[in-house]
Amino acid sequence: MPGKKLLAVVLIGALGVSACGANDQKPSDAAAAKPDKGGTLRILSESRTINFDPAKSQSLAITTLGLVHRRLTGWQNAVGQPAKVVPDLGDTGKTTDGGKTWTFVLQEGLKFSDGTPITSADVKWGVERSFAPAFGGGLGYHKDLLGGADYKGPFEGKELDSIETPDAKTITFKLTRPYGDWPWIASTPAFAPVPKGKGAEADYQEHAIASGPYQIATYSKGVEVKLSRNPNWDGSKDQVRAGLPDDVVIQLGQDASVVSQRLAADSGDDQSAFGASFTSPAQLAQLQANASAKSRVVTSKSGAIAYLALNTQKAPLNNPKVRQAFQYAVNKSAYQIASAGTAALAGDAATTLITQGIEGREQFDLYPSKPEGDPEKAKALLAEAGFANGLDGLSLVLNKSNNQTEKAEAIQAALARANIKVNIRSLEADAFETETNLSDNPTYDLTLSSWQPDFPSANANIQPLFATSEIGKGGYNISRYSNPEVDRLIEEAQSTVDATEAGKKWAAIDKRILEDSPVVPLIYTRNSFIHGSKVGNFFIADFPAYPNYLQVGITK
Amino acid sequence: MSTPVARSVPAAIRSVLARDRWALAGTVTVVVIGLVAIFANVLTAIEGHDPYTYDATALDPNTGLPAGSFGGVSAEHWFGVEPLTGRDLFAIVVHGARTSFLIGLLATLVSIGLGVLVGAAAGYLGGWIDRVITWSADVFLGFPYLVFMIALGAVVPAEFPRALLLIVVIGFFGWPSTARIVRAQVLTLKERNFVKAARVLGASPWQVFRTELLPNLWGPVLVMATLSVPGKIGLEAALSFLGVGVLPPTPSWGRSISAAIDWVSVDPAYLFFPGLALFAVTWGFNALGDGLRDALDPRSVTRR
Repeated sequence: MPGKKLLAVVLIGALGVSACGANDQKPSDAAAAKPDKGGTLRILSESRTINFDPAKSQSLAITTLGLVHRRLTGWQNAVGQPAKVVPDLGDTGKTTDGGKTWTFVLQEGLKFSDGTPITSADVKWGVERSFAPAFGGGLGYHKDLLGGADYKGPFEGKELDSIETPDAKTITFKLTRPYGDWPWIASTPAFAPVPKGKGAEADYQEHAIASGPYQIATYSKGVEVKLSRNPNWDGSKDQVRAGLPDDVVIQLGQDASVVSQRLAADSGDDQSAFGASFTSPAQLAQLQANASAKSRVVTSKSGAIAYLALNTQKAPLNNPKVRQAFQYAVNKSAYQIASAGTAALAGDAATTLITQGIEGREQFDLYPSKPEGDPEKAKALLAEAGFANGLDGLSLVLNKSNNQTEKAEAIQAALARANIKVNIRSLEADAFETETNLSDNPTYDLTLSSWQPDFPSANANIQPLFATSEIGKGGYNISRYSNPEVDRLIEEAQSTVDATEAGKKWAAIDKRILEDSPVVPLIYTRNSFIHGSKVGNFFIADFPAYPNYLQVGITK
Repeated sequence: MSTPVARSVPAAIRSVLARDRWALAGTVTVVVIGLVAIFANVLTAIEGHDPYTYDATALDPNTGLPAGSFGGVSAEHWFGVEPLTGRDLFAIVVHGARTSFLIGLLATLVSIGLGVLVGAAAGYLGGWIDRVITWSADVFLGFPYLVFMIALGAVVPAEFPRALLLIVVIGFFGWPSTARIVRAQVLTLKERNFVKAARVLGASPWQVFRTELLPNLWGPVLVMATLSVPGKIGLEAALSFLGVGVLPPTPSWGRSISAAIDWVSVDPAYLFFPGLALFAVTWGFNALGDGLRDALDPRSVTRR
């Protein structure tokens, strides 16, 4: 989900994904040293709370939530390789009817942190729990597919009929339509097991029962969360988690610039710490002058697509010609500098909706121009559309918590070159969400957003942002783009089980959508993280643009 | 009861400027920055930049910091440039002076005008009007107006001119302190014979206010106004600092200072110039106001 996604990505970043090698992808010195088992890993987070309730979580499979909870399937990612879906609690699923029914078999001998065995019923209970209105807010890709429109969760005594558990090891999902990416969906947080019958309390996130290498030892809101080893986790049955440190301490409510300074200074406990937030342009400029700190900055090769969304349902942007003018009017080069100081740290200029590193992605540019844009061409297109004098008074809404003012000003200045005058309106996170994700009839013309797919499939790039069903009601189609032809193509591509074939279909949809120009792709955002000198195996793979928390360890 | 003898205002200003070096320096500072604000367009035209145009060529391609030393200060960019954008900092500071003066002076006008009217009414009319006004002034003085302004800034539609909103809001919350002082002055003035005489001759309260009270209030009002301008300019900067002041890209010292704080360790010039401008203008008004108070109020000890 786009809007949410962005927020989620930021939060996840804050919670603890971290670190990839610097822009050139060379492992940093610290990352080269092999970490040992043991030690205490510290994660410095801006967030005031960390959500360990799988039903409410939007966390990626390789970040904080993954330290405590296993899921039905997991991710294996490495630098230079596409991310793969691999077995976690269960195998990666089998379908016999073209993607409509999926069956997963759990491993033998899995146990929760309290010693009770993990069964398929616990996985089912976890998924059912995510339908309860009291436990909303998590990733919900599975909800429609499981036909749960009227289902209100297991606490009212009803089961979800589309999930069957014929025995303690087998779980079968009967979907409403064929869906090729279901094994990826099974790696989203809701597919973490919750002991059947438990988890009814609202603060379950503070004492969730663990299936991963760590359990929650103490949870002090706004201060810190301490994770200690889960004695019932068996590393030989888990191929996605290294579980190296003995303890993990997540310090909450940290100021990002203080974190960056502490990690640059690299003294005491901070040597075994990493920052969960993106390093800001000012911090990056500061780190350039410090050779030791610079070597400990890890920048992803690519990442979320940052884009300017155009409200396609509001005049004058309901005219495709006007929207196409924006493709030429923006200055992607200025946007890169505003994002991170340099193009190398900010990420490549984007021309497609599918992000780099996703299977089937095709590189194309429907609106070729210089990196600085082509204001004259934009003016000409506007004149053709009947706006020879340009556009005035367009409203660009921003989410205050995403720190986008500089970026928005860069867009504002670039559009002004083509006589498009924009007012920037910054809203608090809740007000922003109400306006862009929930409102039926919003007043914004433009907004800035970025989207990191929730799983490495073009499906997760496109469907949440451009399907008609994702307009309003909390969905992330914030350009409010609705095209029946595209909706049909999306459904067709989703039902394709063969990944290569599906990839081709998604690339065609990518092009088809951009012909209508509902958004202006800006850059594929690189994220930079900094870590202490004793943190080892701190890498950012090709997907996602966050460090893999599950593999990080402490060097002696 | 002895009331200080008010000197004529122009005479007081002349004498304070002649005798008080600090007040003179403050006046010169205020006048210079005021002229800069008025002729902002001319100055930036001479320098050859405007505060809105992005210029990546003025930045270090490796970091996004200004190219060159001390924030890129050069003959081309007199105060250097902004990091990440390459916008000319001199143009931003000079146009920011406009924002600050406009909002600071007009908000002062609003608050002093309101304060004088309300304070004089309370002092002269007395009775329940006095009680209501005194009570409201106490409430307003204790009101967390910064929080209120932040909330207001968030709910007022973007179409509403932001500078006007700031003038009205900042000005409105400034009336109680003026009103209290004016009320106290009027309470003593209305017992004096020339006021009593006017009243006995049948002058309406408005006539008494205009012809008898106001001429005797000019001194303290002028001192209060001068001393409250820097507070108003500072409040505008504070609101812009917090992101609820004037909207980008309109330059504002407060917003520049807010942005510059992140950069202070690598690009101190970015904080230095807008910070210096804000310091100079608040200091200038304060020095001038202090001098005027010394000259107009015989009870205070005059600095020499």
